[in-house]
Parts: sequence; C-alpha cells; structure tokens
Amino acid sequence: MNTLPLTRRDFLRRSGMGMAMLGLGDVMAGAKPHYAPKAKRVIHFFLNGGPSHVDTFDPKPALERYAGKPVPSHRLTERKTGAAFPSPFKFQRYGQSGIEVSELFAKTAAHIDDIAVIRSMQAQVPNHEPSLMLMNCGDSIQARPSLGAWLTYGLGSANENLPGFIAMCPGGMPIKSAENWQAAFLPGAYQGTYVDSKHEQVDRLIENIRSPHADAHVQNRQLDLLRRINEAHRRERSDPRLEARIQSFELAYRMQMEASDAFDVSREPQHIRDMYGEGVHARQTLIARRLLERGVRMVQLWHGAGQPWDNHDNIETNHRKLSAQIDQPIAALIADLKQRGMLDDTLILWGGEFGRTPTVEMSGAKSKLGRDHNHYGFSVWMAGGGIRGGTVHGSTDEFGFAAHENPTSVHDLHATILHLMGINHEELTYRYAGRDFRLTDVYGDVISPVVA
Amino acid sequence: MPRFIVHLGALLAPLIAASAEHWAFQPLKPVKASGVDEFIHHKLREQGLAPSPRADARTLIRRASLDLTGLPPSPEETEAFVRDASPDAYPRLIERLLASPHYGEQWARHWLDVARYSDTKGYVYAREEKNWVHATPYRDWVVRSLNADMPYDRFLLLQLAADQVAPARSPDLAAMGFLTLGRRFLGVSHDIIDDRIDVVMRGTQALTVACARCHDHKFDPIPTRDYYSLYGIFQSSAEALVPCATGEDAKLTELVKRNRDLMTKRREEQMARTRARAADYQQALSELDKYPEQGFDQIIDEKDLNPFIVHRWKAWMDAHPGAKLTEQTLKQADSPAYVPDEHIANNEMYFPTGIITELWKAQAEVDRHLLSTSTAPAHATVLVDRPLPSSPRVLLRGNPLTKGDAVPRQFLSLFGNQQPFTQGSGRLELAQAIIDPRNPLTARVMVNRIWQHHFGRGLVSTPSDFGKQGGTPTHPELLDWLAQRFMDSGLSLKTMHRLIMLSETYQQSSLKRDARDPDNRLLARMNPHRLSFEEARDAWLTAAGQLDLKVGGRPEALFSASNKRRTLYTLVDRENVPAVMRTFDFANPDLSIPQRSETSVPQQALFGMNHPFVVQQARALVKAKASAPSATARINRIYAQLFQRHPTQAEVEAALRFVQEEPAIAVEPDHSKSWQYGYGEWDEDTGRVKSFKVLPHFTGSAWQGADAWPNPQLGWAQLTATGGHPGNDRKHAVVRRWIAPASGTYDIQSLLIHEPDVGDGIRGFMSHSRLGKLRDTRLKNSKADLSLTAIEFQTGDTLDFVVDIADGLNSDQFLWSPKIMPSTQATGSGADSSQETWDAEKDFSAQPKQPLNPWEQLAQVLMLSNEFMFVD
Repeated sequence: MNTLPLTRRDFLRRSGMGMAMLGLGDVMAGAKPHYAPKAKRVIHFFLNGGPSHVDTFDPKPALERYAGKPVPSHRLTERKTGAAFPSPFKFQRYGQSGIEVSELFAKTAAHIDDIAVIRSMQAQVPNHEPSLMLMNCGDSIQARPSLGAWLTYGLGSANENLPGFIAMCPGGMPIKSAENWQAAFLPGAYQGTYVDSKHEQVDRLIENIRSPHADAHVQNRQLDLLRRINEAHRRERSDPRLEARIQSFELAYRMQMEASDAFDVSREPQHIRDMYGEGVHARQTLIARRLLERGVRMVQLWHGAGQPWDNHDNIETNHRKLSAQIDQPIAALIADLKQRGMLDDTLILWGGEFGRTPTVEMSGAKSKLGRDHNHYGFSVWMAGGGIRGGTVHGSTDEFGFAAHENPTSVHDLHATILHLMGINHEELTYRYAGRDFRLTDVYGDVISPVVA
Repeated sequence: MPRFIVHLGALLAPLIAASAEHWAFQPLKPVKASGVDEFIHHKLREQGLAPSPRADARTLIRRASLDLTGLPPSPEETEAFVRDASPDAYPRLIERLLASPHYGEQWARHWLDVARYSDTKGYVYAREEKNWVHATPYRDWVVRSLNADMPYDRFLLLQLAADQVAPARSPDLAAMGFLTLGRRFLGVSHDIIDDRIDVVMRGTQALTVACARCHDHKFDPIPTRDYYSLYGIFQSSAEALVPCATGEDAKLTELVKRNRDLMTKRREEQMARTRARAADYQQALSELDKYPEQGFDQIIDEKDLNPFIVHRWKAWMDAHPGAKLTEQTLKQADSPAYVPDEHIANNEMYFPTGIITELWKAQAEVDRHLLSTSTAPAHATVLVDRPLPSSPRVLLRGNPLTKGDAVPRQFLSLFGNQQPFTQGSGRLELAQAIIDPRNPLTARVMVNRIWQHHFGRGLVSTPSDFGKQGGTPTHPELLDWLAQRFMDSGLSLKTMHRLIMLSETYQQSSLKRDARDPDNRLLARMNPHRLSFEEARDAWLTAAGQLDLKVGGRPEALFSASNKRRTLYTLVDRENVPAVMRTFDFANPDLSIPQRSETSVPQQALFGMNHPFVVQQARALVKAKASAPSATARINRIYAQLFQRHPTQAEVEAALRFVQEEPAIAVEPDHSKSWQYGYGEWDEDTGRVKSFKVLPHFTGSAWQGADAWPNPQLGWAQLTATGGHPGNDRKHAVVRRWIAPASGTYDIQSLLIHEPDVGDGIRGFMSHSRLGKLRDTRLKNSKADLSLTAIEFQTGDTLDFVVDIADGLNSDQFLWSPKIMPSTQATGSGADSSQETWDAEKDFSAQPKQPLNPWEQLAQVLMLSNEFMFVD
C-alpha cells in the first residue's frame, strides 16, 4: 500500500463537493430552481393542534352580536359546538396597512406591513391526523413526501455540512411523529432531521454528532487512515459510489464542527438573545435563524409534543399562555432577519393544520369555553422572501366558520411556497409506482395577490 | 447470428388481448439456449466487448455468501474454499449456502420490502394496540417458505387466499399478512383496499393498477373499470384474527370470548337502535350533506344518526328502487341496519364513538395477551370472504360520493376477455389468474427480481413497473428464457439461483475494465454490491463474534442492549423508523418498495464514527484477537475476520505505525468521574443514605434498573441529566452523588422542583459524607432552593442529592440539576481558584468516557472502510 502525500485538507480542497458526490446525483431533481427564486429558505412555525383564527388574525365582531345564539353559517365538525363564542381577546389595527390582529400576537403585529395574512385557508376534514398530513405532505391519507423533503430534493442544500431540512419540536414529537417530515418514496436522505430542542447540549440535539470515545485529534487520525485505505482500495476499481462514500466521511467530519457551532446559541451576543427572550421557544427560534443563515433549506418549528394548540376547553387561558411563548420570538426573528438583510430571501410561514370553530364546544349542555377543529376556513400568514407585506388575502364568512372570498387550498399554499422558491410546482416531480408525483398532486394555483 | 432460436409462434394459448402490443403483455417467447452466458456474451460481442475473467476464490465466496445468506463467510470457510481445488468446489459452495437457514432470512427481506412489512400499524388512537399480532408469524412464514423452496405459485396463492386453501390452524394462514400488514389509513376502507390492490398488482404483476383509481391508466391498457373490479374483490373480504398453530391458552380463550360476547351485544344493540330510528334514517336521505363520508371523523353518541349507516341506507335505496325497508327487511343481512359479525377493524364505523373505543379496548386485550405470552398459539390476520359479496361501482375520479357504473369482480381486461368471478369474493380466482401458467407476467416479474438482487439491477430496471412507462429489458430473450426455466422447474427459486450463480457472468470479476459501457448494462463485469443496512449491521456483529443467529421470533428494538440478533428481526415501527435506518436507505414500510435507494450521506458516516454500536463491535473484535502472539499476527487475524484475506505487507506496516504511534490525548477536564448515579434508603437517624448502590443500566439518556422503564429490577428509579424519578418505595430513593475531586470550600447551587399537582409529592435531602444532612425538604407542585455556600470538602468526600417518594408512589418525577463550584466566599482557599464548575446537567455523560485504544481505533477504521462495505 502506497501512502499518499496529500493531507486531508489538501484532499478536501482538491475535490469538488457536490451533491452528486453524495450519491444523490441520480435522485436530485436538478438542484437548481426553474426560475429566479425570491426566497432561498423557509421557516415554518407550526402551531400544532390548530390555533384559532378568530382569536388571532381574523377578527369577527359579529360574534359579539350573536353571543349565546346559534350562527347561521354553522357547520359540522368533529364534535358538537353550540352558540357563537365571541373572542375573549382584543383586536386592534397595526401598521400602515391597518390590518387587525389580536392582542395574542401584538409583538408580531408590529411587523404586519411585512406580513400577508391568508384568511380563507381550507383543509379537507376536521381531524388532526389527516390535516397534519395535508399541510405537511399535500395528501391527507397517502404516504407522500413532505414540503421540506421536496424542497431539498428540488434545490439541494446550500450547506452540505448541515442537514438540508430540520424539524425541531421541544419535549417530544407531535402527533404522527416523523411522518410529518417524511421523505416517503424519496430517498431517506431527504427526510427532515428531528431535533428535540428541549436539550441544550449539541450532542443531545443531533444524533451521533459527537464521539463519546474519541477526541478530535484521534478522530482526525482515524479518518486519515480511513482515507488512505479507501484510496488504495479504489485505485483498482471503477465505481463512483466508492468516491461518494469517501466524501461522506469528510462531510461528516465537518458537519460535527458546523452543527456544534450552529446549535450553540451562547455564541450570540446578549442583546440578540434578549431580543428573542426566555425559554425553549426563544432558543429554538434563534437556533433556527443560525441554521438558516448557514444555508439550511427549511426549518420547521413545532410548538411542542402532542398538540398544544388543540384548545377544546378554556381557550382564553390556554391560547394566551401558548401565544406568549412564541409572540416575542417570532417578532424578534422578523426584526433580526431584517437587520441582517435576510428577510428579503427568507420565507416565514405561520399556521397550524386547521383553525377553530367560532362556536363554543359543548360537553352535554355545558360550555367548555373552548373551540372545536375547523377545516372550512382558517388563517395562515407568510412574510419575507417575495411576499407582498401588509396584505390580506381572502376572507371567511361573517362569523369565521368557512372560507368565503377566494377560498384557498393547502395545494395553493404549497404551489405558492414552491413558486417563491423558484420552482414551478407542476414540474417538480418524482417517478414512483408508475406515476410522476408532485407535492400538489393535480391541484394548486399560485396565490398571486400575496406575491410581491 | 445468435445461436439461440426465437419461436415467434407461441405454443401456449395466449391470454393476451390482441391490442396489447407491449412486450410485457406478450406470452413468453420460447427460446433455446445453453445458459445465461449465451445471452450475455452475445450482446457483449455485438458491442465488441468481452466478459471479465473469473473472480478469485476469496471474492467468490464473499460474494456468494452475502448474496444468498446476507452474511460474510468466516475466515475458516474462506480458507477451506480457497484451498479446495476440486472442480465442484464452487457448485458445492452454492448448495451449502442454499441449504443454510439464513438463505430464507436474506431473501425474505427482499420480499418484505415489496410487501411493505411493518411490525406495527403505524399511528393509531390509544384505544387500539399499535403492534400487529400477526407480523412475526408472517415474517417467519416467508423465511420458512423460502428455505423450503416452496414453489412460487403456492407462495403467492397462500398469500392471497390461504383462507380458502389451507386448513384451520395451518401455519400457512400466516401468509395472508401480505395483504393485511398494510397501513390502517385511519380506518378509511377505500384506502385500505387501494393499498391491497397496489401491493398485489405491483408486487406480483409489476402493473401500476392503482394509477387507474381516478381515471383510466394514462399509459397502460388498464381502465378504471378494472381497478374497481379488483376493488370489489377486496371490498367483499373482511379481516379476521385466527390461530395459525395448534394449542390452547386458557387466558386467551377467556379474552376472546369476552371480546366476542361484547361484540355480539353491541351489534344487537346497534341493530335495534337503527331499526327504531328507521323513519329518521329515511328522512336523513333528504339532507345527506349533514352526514359526511368516511375519512371525516365525527364524535357521535348513541342518540345521533350514524353517517355511515345513512350512506348505506342511501346505497340500499338506490339498489332497490321502489322497495321499502320494513321491520322485517331491516333484520336481513343485506339491510343497512345490519351490522356484520366481524373484527372491529371491519365494522367500527357502524358504532358510536364511545362504543368503538370500548370494542377496540376489548380487542386490544386479546392482542396484548398474544403479544406478551409465549404459550398462546400464533395468530394470523387473514381475509375471509363476506357472506354477501358486494357489487363494486366505479367511483368517478376516485370520489366515493360520485358513483358510476357497476362492474363485475374479475381479472384485468388486458389479459383478454374476462369472466366474472363466481366464488365468494373472487379472491381465490384472482390468485389463480395470477399464478396461471399462461400469465406471462408472474414468472417474468419474479425472475427479474431474483436477477436484480444478484446483479444489483434487474434486466428490467423498474422491477414493479412492467408497463409502457417502465424500463425495457436489456436482454428480453434472456428474461423470457429465465421465466420459462422458472416455470419448467416448478417455480423453484433455488433452481433460479443455481442457474444464475453457476453462470460465468455471475462469477466474473467486478474490477474495472472497459469504459465503453460505463453503467455496465451489458455485464462485461460483475456489479459490486454495497451492503444494505441489515447486511452491514449483521457483518459488524459477525466480525465482533457477537451475532446471535437464532432464526425467527419476535422483533427487538434496534439498539436495545440485548439485541444481537440479525437485523431482519429489528422492530419496524412504520410510524417511527429509526432515523439511522432511513439514513441507510431502509425500505419505507408504508409503501411497496421494489428497489431501495442507495445514497452516501454524512449522517451514515456519523453513525459509523460516533454511535456506540460500531465502537462496541470494534472493541469486541480487538478483544477476540488479543491472544495473537504478536502485533503482526493480530493484524493478520483482524484482516481475516473482516475481509477474509491476508493484509499486504504495506497494510501491515501502516497498521503497525497506526497502533504504535500513540496519539497525544487532548486534555479536557473529565467531570464524568465526579458523579455517580445510584439508589438507597434515606436514614433520618444518621442523615445519610443507607447502602448506596449504583443504578446498573444506562439508556443513553438515563440511569435506571434495566432497559425498560419502569422495570422489575428497580421500578421507576431513574436519574437523568436534569432530574429523575425515585424508586417505588422508600428503600429506593434515587441518589445523585458528587465526589469531591480536591479538598476545598465549595458553593452549591441547588433547586429542587416537583411539578405535578397530584399524589403526595416527594422528599429531598442533601447529605455530606462527613457532615451528614445539610438540607431537607418536602415538595408537592412546588420548588425549593437548597443552595449552600462555603461547604468544606476533603478529597473523596461525597455529597448526595437524594429523592424518595415520600409516602406514596404517584407522579413523583422531579427536576434537580445542581451545580458545584469553588466557593467565592471562602477565605484562605486561594483567590486564584479556577472557574471550574461541576454541573450535574452538563457533566451527565452519555457514558463514562471510555476512550478507544489505538487497536480499537484501527478496528473501527477497518470496519468503516469501503472494502468492508462493498462486495466485489
């Protein structure tokens, strides 16, 4: 066996690092957008459980007039609901656009002129599991790749030293677990990397990111030997997979450094940490910004294990508590991205799997002071990369039960996100089981009014 | 000119419709040839290429062993084969491997990918048992059937219709897991049926029939009517849980009876309820929009009209125009009021929500007993024909609300004019149509799968899509010749392995040659094979001498400490496949996967470098070779174990250099030795813990009594980085112990938190080995600051942080992660004391740090090498 004169660093410099080298060459959609993208990365605040639109971004004064009375636009949902239930939260107008937002998101609302609120979203059924799948993967029932998997398949990662798609959820998994960020028939490499953001130490945040048995020096020595052995082995063979696997160790070595750095919020100056505030949601939002800054394609921030926003009872207390955990971090993120010049090409998406009924949920004859699931009409909002700020798209009926003007499907939302990322949603396809599948199936229209 | 002859006039009666010109739908073309090589060499010659020479003996035994059994050969087997100069050494090797019980394990995994095998249902509501009771029997049946070389037609027949061809309690009933192990789709029957159509049609026919669910197939002659013909077959079949072994179990009998009695009672009540509300149901037909279809889950109670029954009512009225439903007709089995006597998986939609929960819980009792006992007979989930088969109707655009024409239950029209099936659901007839010797797809599809797993790529590159959009065969005559030989052999898989593996083509070297066929489509050399996740894990365990070769049985979690079994037996939870398995391209268990992706991503490398698993195997390997008389001999043995060869002189030298140049160890304060995690009893008299013992098991994030938690050994006792849970009684207080590394005065930051507002709370104590009790508290739904300043310690003194259950075991989890640092108030302890802090959370190490010695580092490197991961 000849020893090669190259050091590991020389070797790294000499060899081009492309996704093709990762063995993903055959299964990448092309790793470049169809047209000039307005956004390069996405952050999705997922308020799992379903935040109430009539208590946040869709004011319905008519509910006051109907308080205690049935509403004319009543619809069937998962459970029985009774009379109109006026929002216990105060709304007020914000910004130049004068869009009304409730006190629950007062800090976020300070940025309303950067935000486009879609008030006419619709899902398909009033149940969590299918609606989570629809919002994440574009199909309520079948196993399909998630938005983040499609984005990394379509665009690759802008930083090969970090996973391209990261899903963070503090304290455990949401309902449907890893299916929410699945790769389905795409290669497993496109599945979201799950991070339990409850932890503070990097080796507890990301699997296998640190060695419990070898320090950097030892590891370097091992990898040098490994490369020499692999090089000698490769010399008499012609298989590109051998080179791809050699590269994967170099990338892994660098991922250890880069990830440790990206997840370490203590490297942020105090005034930035103060901006985001206290608690796990502030921390995971700040980590997300550090990841986006380093080229991660999509970060999804779940509110917590299970379905925290599913407030069938006592919505006043519960929604207040939940919104208080994320309002400041979201507002801080918008401001922070702006001051770094990143808001222009970072797309922020906020929403749950559906909204909630404007009517009160009943337990027999007794009010539970909460709201049931509502897929007929609900709100999401987007801000940043390519979004026309200060706009409202669509509306629900007078009471907020169902989409009224410009009903907007989840497929439309997905088509729009892909569009902003420079992808024609009809052209990003993958052949599986005899069909060319796409995120939007056979549906989806870009919501042009929210695009700048 | 080729030497083989193609007979264009087929002798067999064609099943094919004249319009179907596509190659795959044609009858097999009779082809004469002496063997595989004739076809391959002919094509090579056409392109001016030549085959590669035969691979050497070491390569051949490694290739053949991994191909057939998924396991590398032992050094002894390798040496014996290399020394064996007899002309039949290689054929005997193949026979030995085909006779190995591990052959069935390896080839079962290929079939399980197609069968979208999972040990769990995926996401289900808590009322239902998540683990399948019949997954293990199905998986083991596949292994046994392949080991026994069960003819492929029988293999398929049993998987589709064992209920009709196997006697009661036959182990063959387990075969029907092929149909019944799919996802639950939240109980939506249209999707469950779609999944079954897909797995059968892609799996056995390589036809993407599921594409015709919403519209006629865009490329292949598969109209939507055909889809619904098959739909009707599965709609007319119901799931049933039946024993597939002999034996009795009293507890099981009792649980089954209780379950059945409850079902009977609830069915009768429901039928009476529906009959009593007949007028209301009739009325409901005028406002159908109030009654959503399946998939829109509503919580309904006994007073509500059941939306599913409303839609049945509508269907009955449509099917019987002008007829009336009377008290009498409502009692008949075809009436909308009738609730079929079936497993709750089939009939849950007939019941109010509360009763569904009750019935699932009763079923879960049965399931959990079957999963937890070894005395009860194994059970299979089969399909049985419903007494009244349903007449399917086309659902326009796949929408259950827009029903089109009625269609008969029958086979695909692309196979010519079909007769409607007449026996029950028609499922047996479907199976017979699939295994009919005149069906050219069944044999072609299977020989292509076999070829694919030997050569890395099928003769048709799309193994589950032989339609017009799929790949065309690189060697069409070879494909037909193999299919014909397969049929002539009585559909023996082992015959096909022999035919392929004894060919020169298979035995070629894989080393690089000609650049004119860079993808090696024409097979001028063998394709190297990259180990799958299962093969890699099995090979690591084999190299370490740790692999448990027991065949069959229940699955175990991937990284449970006791799991040394073949990876085939790793628990596959389709809701949460371990990230490392997805990273290594394990087949997605939600979907029928004909061919795995093959990627090299850094997360795979990180697993190899940093996960304890590979390191453990490296350590075991080094230990096993420790008796070697010299360092060189040790290197030789390690190479033999890992690569079945001797190292070159240069390799030996490099390895020696590596192990002899001891690297400088970086200095970083290792605090993990300053903490211990144990349990004992608080002794109020002495203010200390009585008989401190360490918690024996580490999960990666907690110290506790055993792998499971709670466990029979030490109950709920657990310590984590940030807190823990006391053991079940006062004798089992949990104790986080700090050991003073140096004499001095220390400050202690200590906040004990008990959050739950239930139970009687906890007791907490801090105790110094010389000074006795320092602090104590009793907490419930509150917190206590137990910080102290300027406490004196001598080297080796301990400070215990003790929590017990107080008076009762109930919600006693707590948070307590103290920090200890040299005192700032101390006088005389030196103003220049360092800032070093012992932080219970930060110092909570994954394991006590055990750095690898250079030999272990070397073994790990070799285990991660390309030579280990690729087979020439």
